Amino acid sequence: MDQSIQFSLAILSVYRHIARHSVALSVLVLTASLASSTTRAEDQMVEFQRDVAPILEANCLRCHGSESPEGEFSLSTVNALRESGFVVPNKPEQSHLLTVVQPDGDQPPAMPKDGKPLTAAAVAVLHKWIASGADWPEGATLRVRSKADSTWWSLQPVTRPEPPQTPSTSDNSIDHFVRAKLDAKNLKPSPVAERRVLIRRLYFDLLGLPPSPEAVASFIADPNPKAYEQLVDELLASKYFGERWARHWLDIAHYADTHGFERDKLRDNAWPYRDYVIRSFNSDKPYDQFLTEQIAGDALDAPADESIIATGFLAAGPWDFVGQVETKSPILRRAARALDLDDMLTQVMTSTVAMTANCARCHDHKLDPITQREYYQLAAVFAGVRRDNRDINPERRKLFDVEKSRLTDSISQVSAHVGQLQGEALDLADIVGGGNGFGTGKKGQGLDARTGKVQERPFGDLGNVSPGHFAACDYPFIDGVFVPANGQTTISSTALIAHNLPANSGKAWDMIRHGPVSSQYSTTLGTIDYNSAGHSMIGLHANAGITFDLAAIRNAARPPAETDASVVEYQFSAVAGYGGRTVEPSAEFRIFLDGELKSTGRLGRNDTANISIEIPATSRFLTLISTDGGDGYGHDQISFGDPRLMISAPASPIDERKEQLVRLERKRASLEAELKSLGEPPEFYGVVSEAPPSVHILTRGNPEAPGDTVSPGTLGFGKADVQFGATDTPDIDRRIALAEWITSPDNPLTRRVIVNRLWHWHFGTGLVDTPSDFGFGGGKPTHPELLDWLADEMLRSGWSLKHIHRLIVMSQTYRQTSVPLITDKRDDPAAVDADNRLLWRMNPHRLEAEAVRDSVLAVSGKLNTTMFGPGYRDFDYKEAYAPIYTYQTADSPPLWRRSVYRFIVRTTPQQFMTALDCPDPANLTPQRNVTTTALQSLALYNNEFMLKQSRYFAERLVDENGSNIDNQVERAFQLAFARSPDKADRELSRQAIAQHGLWQFCRAILNTNEFVYID
Amino acid sequence: MFRPSTLNKHPTITRRSALKLAGGGLGSVALSAMLQAEQPAHHVAKAKSVIQIFCPGGMSHVDTFDYKPELAKRAGKPFDPDGALQFFASKPGNCQPSFWNFRQHGESGLWMSDLFPKLAACIDDMAFVYSMHSKTALHGPGCFMMNTGFTQPGFPSMGSWVTYGLGSDNRDLPSFVVLPDPRGLPPGGIINWGAGFLPAVHQATTLDATDPQNPIVDLFPIGDAPTSSDPASRNGLDFLQQLNRRHLDQRRANSDLEARIAAYELAARLQLSAPEVADTSSESLPTHQAFGIDDPDIGPFGRQCLLARRLVERGVRFVQIYCGAENTTAQKIRPNWDSHEDLPRDHGYWGRVLDTGASALLNDLKARGMLDETLVMCTTEFGRQPAAQGARSAGRDHNGGAFTAWLAGGGIKDGVGFGATDDLGYQAVDHPTYSYDLHATALHLLGLDHEKLTYYHNGIQRRLTDVHGHVISDLLA
Repeated sequence: MDQSIQFSLAILSVYRHIARHSVALSVLVLTASLASSTTRAEDQMVEFQRDVAPILEANCLRCHGSESPEGEFSLSTVNALRESGFVVPNKPEQSHLLTVVQPDGDQPPAMPKDGKPLTAAAVAVLHKWIASGADWPEGATLRVRSKADSTWWSLQPVTRPEPPQTPSTSDNSIDHFVRAKLDAKNLKPSPVAERRVLIRRLYFDLLGLPPSPEAVASFIADPNPKAYEQLVDELLASKYFGERWARHWLDIAHYADTHGFERDKLRDNAWPYRDYVIRSFNSDKPYDQFLTEQIAGDALDAPADESIIATGFLAAGPWDFVGQVETKSPILRRAARALDLDDMLTQVMTSTVAMTANCARCHDHKLDPITQREYYQLAAVFAGVRRDNRDINPERRKLFDVEKSRLTDSISQVSAHVGQLQGEALDLADIVGGGNGFGTGKKGQGLDARTGKVQERPFGDLGNVSPGHFAACDYPFIDGVFVPANGQTTISSTALIAHNLPANSGKAWDMIRHGPVSSQYSTTLGTIDYNSAGHSMIGLHANAGITFDLAAIRNAARPPAETDASVVEYQFSAVAGYGGRTVEPSAEFRIFLDGELKSTGRLGRNDTANISIEIPATSRFLTLISTDGGDGYGHDQISFGDPRLMISAPASPIDERKEQLVRLERKRASLEAELKSLGEPPEFYGVVSEAPPSVHILTRGNPEAPGDTVSPGTLGFGKADVQFGATDTPDIDRRIALAEWITSPDNPLTRRVIVNRLWHWHFGTGLVDTPSDFGFGGGKPTHPELLDWLADEMLRSGWSLKHIHRLIVMSQTYRQTSVPLITDKRDDPAAVDADNRLLWRMNPHRLEAEAVRDSVLAVSGKLNTTMFGPGYRDFDYKEAYAPIYTYQTADSPPLWRRSVYRFIVRTTPQQFMTALDCPDPANLTPQRNVTTTALQSLALYNNEFMLKQSRYFAERLVDENGSNIDNQVERAFQLAFARSPDKADRELSRQAIAQHGLWQFCRAILNTNEFVYID
Repeated sequence: MFRPSTLNKHPTITRRSALKLAGGGLGSVALSAMLQAEQPAHHVAKAKSVIQIFCPGGMSHVDTFDYKPELAKRAGKPFDPDGALQFFASKPGNCQPSFWNFRQHGESGLWMSDLFPKLAACIDDMAFVYSMHSKTALHGPGCFMMNTGFTQPGFPSMGSWVTYGLGSDNRDLPSFVVLPDPRGLPPGGIINWGAGFLPAVHQATTLDATDPQNPIVDLFPIGDAPTSSDPASRNGLDFLQQLNRRHLDQRRANSDLEARIAAYELAARLQLSAPEVADTSSESLPTHQAFGIDDPDIGPFGRQCLLARRLVERGVRFVQIYCGAENTTAQKIRPNWDSHEDLPRDHGYWGRVLDTGASALLNDLKARGMLDETLVMCTTEFGRQPAAQGARSAGRDHNGGAFTAWLAGGGIKDGVGFGATDDLGYQAVDHPTYSYDLHATALHLLGLDHEKLTYYHNGIQRRLTDVHGHVISDLLA
């Protein structure tokens, strides 16, 4: 902020004040002169409140205020000042405060750091004040004053003004409010537009699609005087209405289908929120409920699925995976989280109450009565909220999980039984995953080589490694695990020793896993991917070892009524390979049977070793070891592909066993069918509620400089302190409280803001022309009474949005022509009101990117009207650290859905849409820009989508009209412009078709101003 | 903060008034008005255009421009003996001296490492800011900050601000052009050069340096290039414009409709001018050689540099070149400067690329007398740690605390250094400088006051420099 501008504005406002209140001023002057006459002797005295406080407040308090003062120095209270010692009463020359605000030699004053130096007069005042004892009146507190205070227009209660009496014959109050303002400027409303203009306007405004020629013809011919009203009701009830208006709301929610930032990952389950908005608008969900659900839908009593999905609103914005999850630096994580909370609270406060609370992150708001403390109170409201993929209904997930584990347990029991009867091989990887060797184990699960404990999450470099320590394992088939020591190491609970081990670094990485270890480069050993279906693998990153208990396996795997287990002989087979990246042999494996070395090898990326070991019935311990070859353990990912124990000579199945097998197979099939029919409970991208951590005021917004702890609360607008509990209030109570505050009928902003947004979207400009800023920095309402009247209508109608829509589009004001005939230049209303803020005509406007694309599809006859569900993806997706999105021409029915169903990628915007002013979903967009560029012309004229659609349009004309060119032209104009061509249009069209062909004619039609502009 | 001016809330107003002057015709005034014709600067400019080279991934300052002899003395000693630090991806390893030798060069005697032998010969034309630092050590937010002044996405890039402030100097080419690395997009993607909340007219036009026939997306219909580039055959364009004029006749003078008619004419001209600028066949053989055009590794970047010169030669205001990517599956060598595990390999590769292209660019601009009016900037999003990273101690982790940016031409003082890092290059200590000061200085040279270049968005008069920034007067010639 430029200090000089701020300063001069302050002076300006003082002058205005003087001019308007000359009476009050003279009283003031009188008082002042009286005072000066009685206190002449004290002329030299400075008075704190009058002279000193304004200087400190204007120059110092911004940084050295009560909240999180810069340099721990606050000038807000006398105590703070005394503590600092920067002011020594009666001794200006010893007061540091005076030193820093004056030049030091040729150096400018050290303070104010980011502003203009104090004037000599101001310095003199401070000097006098200190010299005369630095008096500070009892209880006086200094603070920065915002430009607007609690008397700001938008913070006053909503009233219901009576519509003014005007010459208008309309029975719609809107027209009287508008007419009164026009009359005051001697302006007249324009006549009602003709019907074909009205129907095109209404269709695009309410549905975002062109009317069909049939709908136009029937509306124009309708003799019913209520034809327009019927059309309005029909369109408000259309399913396309929600699709059109959801797009407006999604602009404010900065909705997209990827996370954004560096690793712009897919957000596959964002779309349920988009569908929620469409459904809510179609069903005219009361606006207070609509907001409450989006802020705290998961916190309601027994919430419906759609209330929970509504919280996708809080999660809709960008999210930095690298900053929040990937980086190991706590500083970077805190910074990312601070921005994450800022995004959430900014979205909620901007969209619902149009207050720029985010401006108070580093300091008190400079314009509006919003303190930095209040900003962090709001941050505390969301402190327990984390964006994530989640179940729509956690209870349903619990039931599903119980049912699923019951079925999978049964299936694996049956499978194990079948395996035993068939003499199938045991899978040692399955055993590592806690299984019985026949598929009951959990893939990806691991055992800690240090402790034998089961772990699921990925680990990296392990600390506290004790090489040589043997740790027993709870699994019955595994004797234990260890990190091998150099030379020799204990490998069994019976203290067997393996000798002649190579030296290793003594480090260990991740767990011994049923599957690859964390960060494993590849699971393909030789030519087979052992992480694919039908295969399995043990991931054994150096340095680690595992010993299986063969005796336990023999006992458990023994089929009922089989002979003595001790006679079962096995064969162990596996493919040992290297899952790391290094090509040169870099790690070693060793296999021991009862401490006796059976197999060993040194492996790199391209090496594998086929292992086959006969296991006599007397052997008890099979041990697998990986070591790093002594050259450091990076990437030394030894893997054993398909590690199997096969009974060497299975007994031949007898008839009884065969029958048993048939029964078991039947049972397994029915269990599997049941499992399949269970159906995964649906997920969506929303928020997860957690216990909120403590929230601090951050000095200058810096997460590394936490100040006071704050409890949740909201804005008090300079007259109240609105708290939502204490620092231990649960997350859901915080958000419920905020939702209640926002949707309270007493909140002066919420209803004004939404009716103004609706007005903005209908007319192109709101009654307040800054729909997301109702503070000092924003515009003031052109029709404040109308705004309040609409806000009150909203409450009376039970927060019905469609009621407001209907009031607006039914008004004469809305129905005016946008191109009034001005016969006399002297009557040109543009001379008085060029921007048409008083609405002496309807505003013409250009279609938004989505409406252009949808209309092209509608006109070509290709629009796919399928509603809801995952968005269409008009790009190729390639998985990478940062995924690559490559756009493709949308040329198939699934990609011809309405644009609201587009899968929106943040880092790689769809260029065709961007060229048409589709906004960056990083931003909250209350109003679309309308720009005209050569790139836009190129996109509409040359983009392959447009070329293809032009051809489809031409095909449609031939299909519907045969080869008669006049009929083709007639139909084309009806479809694209909702009118018939006149004589000159026909002539030009015929020539164009003759010269360039029908599809070029269609291409031109889709590029015309008439196609993309609405009168 | 004060009420937004009508002007920047309604960018069409300026257009409208300009068109009134043109008497409603479609003369050059209407055309250039649509293009945001040249706007008066805040003060007299030194530079007419900017070429910004961006090296994404985080270029190591201690291996390139920032000479740290103390690091060599402490080689192999723990950087963080107390184990208190945690970098982006690792705990610090030992102190790691530069992987290349440093030497003094030129009359200025400034230091540069042997990674850049050709650029070292230009050192007396360059100025270095040794004390750059960033608010983040993450690639995406770091790139955003260096490009837009904010770590979050959604803010206008510097090129967008410049065209917003100064308008266009060329009727046939866009005023802000970006040449991405042919290997892929930088971290954070296309929005690094987006217009944010500024009107889309200020967004960059991406020029594909590898396709001179069709360098701009949708410049020609696919497969139709030859006929469409022939202005005599305008296919249906004349018909379109006839319909548009008839439509306009029936409406009150509507500048938006007129501008849209003009945009199609400009698009037709772009079909001639863009392939012309992208076609380097008229450049001499020595020029091709100097830029290393035929080298498979260096060539793509050399070509970007050469195109940048051709663009500013034709009045393009702001050109941004990327030396490195991110969104790519290339495996052999890191696709940008992000050298976590093998800095000699990756900086070695990218160093050669930057050295040739950037030195050729500086020499070429100088030889043509264009360097005085062209500000060349080379930046990265953050530096790298003085400590080693990785099992082989051959990499370096991210360092938001320090990096080096260099500038040349366009009113920049020759052969000077500004600011300093600590003895090891861990943090900027003398005149620590965020993107704000660099941006403020560049805008100043273009005749723009960074505090006055504002745009109202969601309640705030936004600036490229947020609420910060000072012009670095020590760098001004």
